[in-house]
Amino acid sequence: MNTTSLQPVIRCQTLYKIFGITSDQLQKDSQGLIDPSYRDRQGVVTAVDNVSLDVSDGELLVVMGLSGSGKSTLVRCLSRLIEPTSGSIEIEGNDLLAMSEKELIELRRNKMGMVFQNFALLPHKTVLENIAFPLQMRGMKRAEFVERAMKMIALVGLDEKENSFPRELSGGQQQRVGIARSLAVEPDIWFLDEPFSALDPLIRKEMQDEFLRLQSMLKKTIVFITHDFDEALKLADRIAIMYHGNIEQIGRPEDIVLNPATEYVAKFTSDVPREKVLTAGSVMDERKEQEALASKSVRIDDLVETIAEYVLGQSIPVPVVDAQDQIVGVLHQARMLEILFHERAGPSGS
Amino acid sequence: MRGPGHPALEATTTPFKEISLSRMKDLLLKGLPPEQRAKGALVLLAIVGVLILAKPFNLIPDFLDELPQHTYQSSINKEIQEIKRTELVPIGAALEWTFYYLRDDLHVSVVTRFFSTSLKALVDVVHNILSGGRKGFGLDAPPWSALLVIALTLGYALKGWRLSLLGGGTVCYFAIFGLWTYAMTTLAYLAVAVPISIIIGLFLGIWCYKKKSVEVSILPILSVAQTMPHFAYLIAVVVFFGIGHQTGVIATIIFAVPPMVRLTLLGLQTISPEIVEAGKMAGCTSRQLLFRVQLPSARNEIMIGINQVIMQCLAMVVIAAFIGADGLGFRLLHKLIALKLGECVEIGFAIVLLALVLDGLSKAWAEKKRDYRANLPFYRRYKYSILLVVLVAIAYILASYFPILNKIPRDLDITYAKSWDGFIDWTVVNWQTRDFRYIMLVHILTPLRDALLFMPFIAIMVLVAGVGLLLGGYYSALLTLGFLLFIALAGWWDRAMITLYMVLFSTFICIVVGIPLGLWSAMREKRARTALFWCDTFQTFPSFIYIIPAIMLFRVNDFTAIMAVVAYAMVPAVRYTVEGLKNIPPELHEAVTMAGCNKRQRLLQLQLPVALPHIMLGVNQTVMFAFSMVIIAAFVGTIDLGQSIFKALSETALGKGVTLGLCVSFMALTVDHLVVRWARERRRLLGLD
Amino acid sequence: MSRKFTKTLGAMVAGTMLAFGASTGQAGTTTAALGDVDDPIIIPVHNWSSQIAMSHAVGQLLEKIGYTVEYTTTDSQAVYEALRVGDVTLELEVWEGSFATAFNAALDKGGILDAGTHDAVTREEWWLPDFTIAKCPGLPDWEALNACAEMFARPDSGGKGVYVDGPVEWLHDLDRIEALGMNFIQIHAGGAAALWAELESAAANDEAVVVFNWSPNFTDALYGGAFVEFPAFHDRCKTDASWGINPNMTSDCGSPAGGYLKKAAWDGMPRKWPAAYKALTRINFTTNMVGTMAMFVDVDEMEHADAAARWIEENEEVWSAWLYASQ
Repeated sequence: MNTTSLQPVIRCQTLYKIFGITSDQLQKDSQGLIDPSYRDRQGVVTAVDNVSLDVSDGELLVVMGLSGSGKSTLVRCLSRLIEPTSGSIEIEGNDLLAMSEKELIELRRNKMGMVFQNFALLPHKTVLENIAFPLQMRGMKRAEFVERAMKMIALVGLDEKENSFPRELSGGQQQRVGIARSLAVEPDIWFLDEPFSALDPLIRKEMQDEFLRLQSMLKKTIVFITHDFDEALKLADRIAIMYHGNIEQIGRPEDIVLNPATEYVAKFTSDVPREKVLTAGSVMDERKEQEALASKSVRIDDLVETIAEYVLGQSIPVPVVDAQDQIVGVLHQARMLEILFHERAGPSGS
Repeated sequence: MRGPGHPALEATTTPFKEISLSRMKDLLLKGLPPEQRAKGALVLLAIVGVLILAKPFNLIPDFLDELPQHTYQSSINKEIQEIKRTELVPIGAALEWTFYYLRDDLHVSVVTRFFSTSLKALVDVVHNILSGGRKGFGLDAPPWSALLVIALTLGYALKGWRLSLLGGGTVCYFAIFGLWTYAMTTLAYLAVAVPISIIIGLFLGIWCYKKKSVEVSILPILSVAQTMPHFAYLIAVVVFFGIGHQTGVIATIIFAVPPMVRLTLLGLQTISPEIVEAGKMAGCTSRQLLFRVQLPSARNEIMIGINQVIMQCLAMVVIAAFIGADGLGFRLLHKLIALKLGECVEIGFAIVLLALVLDGLSKAWAEKKRDYRANLPFYRRYKYSILLVVLVAIAYILASYFPILNKIPRDLDITYAKSWDGFIDWTVVNWQTRDFRYIMLVHILTPLRDALLFMPFIAIMVLVAGVGLLLGGYYSALLTLGFLLFIALAGWWDRAMITLYMVLFSTFICIVVGIPLGLWSAMREKRARTALFWCDTFQTFPSFIYIIPAIMLFRVNDFTAIMAVVAYAMVPAVRYTVEGLKNIPPELHEAVTMAGCNKRQRLLQLQLPVALPHIMLGVNQTVMFAFSMVIIAAFVGTIDLGQSIFKALSETALGKGVTLGLCVSFMALTVDHLVVRWARERRRLLGLD
Repeated sequence: MSRKFTKTLGAMVAGTMLAFGASTGQAGTTTAALGDVDDPIIIPVHNWSSQIAMSHAVGQLLEKIGYTVEYTTTDSQAVYEALRVGDVTLELEVWEGSFATAFNAALDKGGILDAGTHDAVTREEWWLPDFTIAKCPGLPDWEALNACAEMFARPDSGGKGVYVDGPVEWLHDLDRIEALGMNFIQIHAGGAAALWAELESAAANDEAVVVFNWSPNFTDALYGGAFVEFPAFHDRCKTDASWGINPNMTSDCGSPAGGYLKKAAWDGMPRKWPAAYKALTRINFTTNMVGTMAMFVDVDEMEHADAAARWIEENEEVWSAWLYASQ
């Protein structure tokens, strides 16, 4: 697991959410682990099962899983929309689960924003009112919240739509409103629960790009839920893959593609076009002494997709350079062939 | 992918919450699987058949054939003078004792009296503002022209010219036809009863939403309140709240609150859970969440609820007149008894107009949108308020110079009542119904009634409980059995069967006429809209008015009562058929068009089967309407529960009246339970939810 | 709904007069005897014209001598419960036929006073409108009626004549037809309005009809008519089977010719409003009085309060006897 030396913004440990049972009915050991026998009880469903993860400042963590995997429950535990059954959650070092109702409201008013799959816009309010809603809840003055909301409208590119009602907008536009609303309070932590799943593919791509643009400006700490592996690969700094309430694997996209930890993860990665995920850095070999190198180098974070044709066209290894133009490795034609054509069937051993 | 325990998710899958479906009962809620039902039904019919056939051979013991019950008399044949004048369980006496114990020993009357005194003061104040007089603040009546401009401006500001003209026209109607003071009195009642019903309904609805236990205990009470004949609880209202204006208001509130509670609850339960979460993430406190997120999001249902409240209150205008509510209803009753039918129609239309205006204004008000960005100068932002103040001021000034604008003289003598009287007389003379009545009464109705009375009560209980078992499992069987057992033990079985026979036959006619009418109306969009408009009108038209012309046409007998019931209960059969057909997804239509269906095939293969669950809900409503109207039809002269209820009313027999009311209510709830259960299952099978 | 209200309605419309045959007395009421003049005396009004108008007349008279009066609309049956607890103060028309049950029940429970009987009397009996009497020789005699029974037959009556009775709860004589051996059956209308609808329908179609009716009633003026003449009522008729033309059954006679019309009061009234109660006990309607009032309202189409004012204006000697008698 990739932890930074800094204190994580979100830290959750041995988190459980079990429906159909109360926490005092459970046996816990000293590490906070729950005896798995509860699973057999009738009417009990374990949605989040012993999840521990950290999200550091400015990081974009994508939680990926199919429906029923517990990912939406997880994000609702992190925002305490659902009360976890057991475990701990710290937000910037503060115990989320110990917070009073009042503290929780304060936290949500100032630190958190959330975007929902079906937009969750208030149908009786206009675009402007929807976006201003969290600000109104804080008791902000009218002139102030109108100004702030108008800025948000401009940010998500909905100018001129401020007096429309949600029903008058397209799906993509509605989700822009949802995004603007979640950003209106300028939160540090941003939860997105399958924000683009309800949109059609073209709009989805457009919204993903838009999202990346916003994130490059805003640098929020993000937990992003999706069931779309491609989307996860495209957006994530790190990906957590959930299955039956467990996190099967957590890591950088290329780590997951190259080294799936379990069969389940491997099933996802097998169909992934690796050239779209892997970077030069993740597949390069060490440079051997006195090796002749191609004249043109590639950068360490270039996607394989973009450099494959060039590398394949070279009979000698291609140098890989880092941000300081130092050569940190080389790419061989043979390795490139292997990545593109031979390794799709199984986990690689590199 | 939310866990199965997510409360809001559960709510979305069962939008139509029923009386009390707690988790445990759910286990009992599955009837026979559909494929086995035909077999089950055959077995059931065989058992019932055996029970019936056993009777002529004296194989049924007396206590299974007929329990001791109260006496009754037949109006078609000669009197049946029964000697058995009792009931097995003295339910009526027990209820009576309980009520008086509550009132006199537990001093519940202190609370109810306080409530009723406050209401009276409130009604007095509103009444004073609208029509002057010594009570309330002792203000002078406003000029009628002031109300006219208020109606015009309000209509225009909220919606546009059409509503404005409707409002203004209604005010003029009151003034021109000499109904002014009565209309103002009715308006004063509504102005008190409607908001109070809405507030109570919202409060209870929210409470039910927050606490499952409250929901489980309140909803059955609401079901009973909704199906109980009004006349059965009038005595109870008088005993606890005294008499006077306020009593009518209270009876109205009791009747108008249940749909508001149900719709509030439904609205809250069907909000998408994400919206609630979005509200929480916006940092709402629980109060902010309720008032700024949940209630506004449920507003479609709440608006339907408010609409229902207005309609129910107007329906009560006439009925409340029986316990002293003044106004249009009282006037109508007075004229009805004097057989001035034309004037009754005139007053009836006044009530309908009032309903249309209030309905229109409330809907328009709810749909009004605010423009946040508009940074308008004061006089533009408040242009309608200013206009209103100016116009009212002008009305006051003009009224002081021209008395005709202040008070419309009562002796204007403008009326169209005479033409109605002429029309009714013409109809009575020209529509000879003698032969028709003969066939209906001698060959159809009497045999039907006698057949129901002949059946041993055990056979009917087995039949109903068996149907319950088939459709809804043990829970349904026990519930319906309990309902019927109450009637049998209370000693009203035969009368209940007579009520039932009239309801069943009325429903049959409503189906045979109403559904085809609905099918025909739904074929064209414009026709459908016209049909729905007339449905609204007929629903608010006071049902009492139907009764007298029916007697004049058909004379005093069961058939007349049935005709009066049909005239009233037809509305939902038509309405639900139209709606059911309109709501069929267009792609289904396209699919059958591409399959090359002709009109008849489209009707039989697509429209009827798909719309059937909705139509069945309409039939259910028709049954409910029929149960409520059949009691009112006792005014014709019937020998059913209705007659006993009026007798109880005239004897101020509290316990007996409530018991009889419960008998009617339980029969209605039995039908309601079975039909709703079936329709819901069908809808689910058809994937229409 | 009560027959009573229909009955009274009839009464008012018919315009039989009330006899204020009150005891004449001398003016003598003093303010001291008025009692609480600030708390309003509450007079219930029902849904038939004479009762409303007479109630307004009495109310206006009480105001004349210094009381505060309020009117409240109530059901004519429920009013007795209200009287017992003092929600309303007095009731001017207690009809024997319709309200005796509720009135007596209230008397038994306590809280209510019998404030005396009016001179006006009522009669309830089988009744024939003129257009029917003309169809059969010998009417309104009951034997002639029986001879013409076929005229009154209906499709569903199996050839027998049909007598349209009032609602079951009004009625007493269920076995008269059998006792007198008549070729009739009786059916029950659900209320007074249903009775009038039967009449109106028969009139429009010129069919024979015999209905339950009472006097005074507006139907006299509308159709003209007469009560069927049965063997005269006798006390023993009801109790002694051997009495009368049928030696084996009771009920072989007509109804009594006169029923009472009473006044009632809350039992706190004499203490709280002594002079008003005194006046109430002296108030005495005659058939003519009731008829006059009904004419004002139903023929002249006056508002009830205006009709009351006009009556007060024209009948000073009558009401001054009520108010100012000093016995």
